Amino acid sequence: MATILAAIDEGGANTLLGDALASIPTLSKSGSGSLGPFTAGYSVQGTFAGGTVDLIAPSTVRIEHLRFNWQMTLSFGIDLNDFLPHFCLPQVCVDIPCVGHVCTPKICVSWPTIGVSVPFGDFVEATADFGIDVSLSGGQWKVQILVQNLSQLQFGPATAGILVLIGAAITPLLLAIPFIGPFLAVAVDLILAAIGVAGLTGFLGPILSPFLSGLKIPVYQQDKHFKFLPASGPVDPDVFIELDAVSAQIQHSDEDELVLSVDISP
Amino acid sequence: MNASTDLFDSRALRYIDCYGQRFMREGTYRYHVLSRQEQGLESREPCTIKVGPRKGEGKNGSKMSQHTVQLRWKKGRFSSGSDELEIEVGDIVLWNCPDPAAPPYEIVGDQEFFASARMVNECGFTHAFGTPGSYAWADAHGSKLGGVVHVKEVSCASRDDLAQWQQRLSKAALVMIADGKVQPPEIEIVAGQTVYFAIVTCKGMSITDKRLLGKSGGAGRGGHAANCA
Repeated sequence: MATILAAIDEGGANTLLGDALASIPTLSKSGSGSLGPFTAGYSVQGTFAGGTVDLIAPSTVRIEHLRFNWQMTLSFGIDLNDFLPHFCLPQVCVDIPCVGHVCTPKICVSWPTIGVSVPFGDFVEATADFGIDVSLSGGQWKVQILVQNLSQLQFGPATAGILVLIGAAITPLLLAIPFIGPFLAVAVDLILAAIGVAGLTGFLGPILSPFLSGLKIPVYQQDKHFKFLPASGPVDPDVFIELDAVSAQIQHSDEDELVLSVDISP
Repeated sequence: MNASTDLFDSRALRYIDCYGQRFMREGTYRYHVLSRQEQGLESREPCTIKVGPRKGEGKNGSKMSQHTVQLRWKKGRFSSGSDELEIEVGDIVLWNCPDPAAPPYEIVGDQEFFASARMVNECGFTHAFGTPGSYAWADAHGSKLGGVVHVKEVSCASRDDLAQWQQRLSKAALVMIADGKVQPPEIEIVAGQTVYFAIVTCKGMSITDKRLLGKSGGAGRGGHAANCA
């Protein structure tokens, strides 16, 4: 039995995995989660980019600064009665000439529930350790790397500004509510404080983390019954070989290399 | 409630509106409180106002007493506290439904002078303006009567500011309508204040936000021309 060996160094791995990440189509997901005191619905989509490969023997492929660029639309309802003081119009009296003193009753205002929808985007980065997975399925060998360990997500700079965006989305909705004028600033401050940066990252983290932790990057794929040579004439048919076994590991000599070993037979 | 519903129309009363009617003659007056959703009036018992003779001075030495009817909206219908109210000649009855969930409604009496949708003599309509802006109003029944309410923005940076604002809310602005004239035709208030439109003499008009009347600014619902001008 013969063996074919193919090896790529970290530079080659950067190119290979970079191309593989770029080829992953846009991922998307929707659902709901807790955003501070609110239950918020979301739809998110994103793509992978960037990262620096570090090959670590015997079988770890580490990608540092693995970046996931995401865009999200966040929707939630705010019952303003939870944030604004109980407010009543006082009894109002007028003196009508030749008639007399007429008064309206006290009238209490019921604050509405407003629906907020905010689109925004940013990125998250993490360092991911991938393990190498080799499998044969449906007559095809597949070598891919799977996330085994993920560092804490680092949010991009725009994430902190999301609260400002939420405030900007809420303000015109509040302005349209009668009698809210004197309470407007208080309402916005209270709502944003209720969410808070911690609430925001606490909401985003569980949504975005699975995109990274579930990442599988293909490295090599080939039919077990492999067409080694195509036919070149009626008396010269296709030549096939069998890929009997495939293995992959990180080997360290003078440099770290991802080595693919394929046992073949006629 | 948002800006698109911060409209005012005496033909469609909301929780921040009142309709007042003075009764100048003895008698029994029946009325219904109707929302646009209600049908089958025939099966409903009307409310009654029994106007008896004036027995003396009203409260605080005036010749008029006020009776406030607080309406309730429940199970698809309006109801008052009691189906019969006894008052004296010259008294005023003021209706308000304080429930924000109630639909727009009107007071429909059994006599021509007694209707919130088409106000005649010795009556009034109040509306609390909650959003800054300039609000032009007109008579939906086609008279030339109209005016503008300018509502100024309020911002309160402190508790004192808030207290001052709430103090100001207890003072209404008065618009008198008599002999085909509106006085004053333009008024200025702050957000949250109430305007009382007092109709002294008229053959039938409404106080309607011009945005509800379309470009012509003329008669909308119930187009009944009035001779107020």
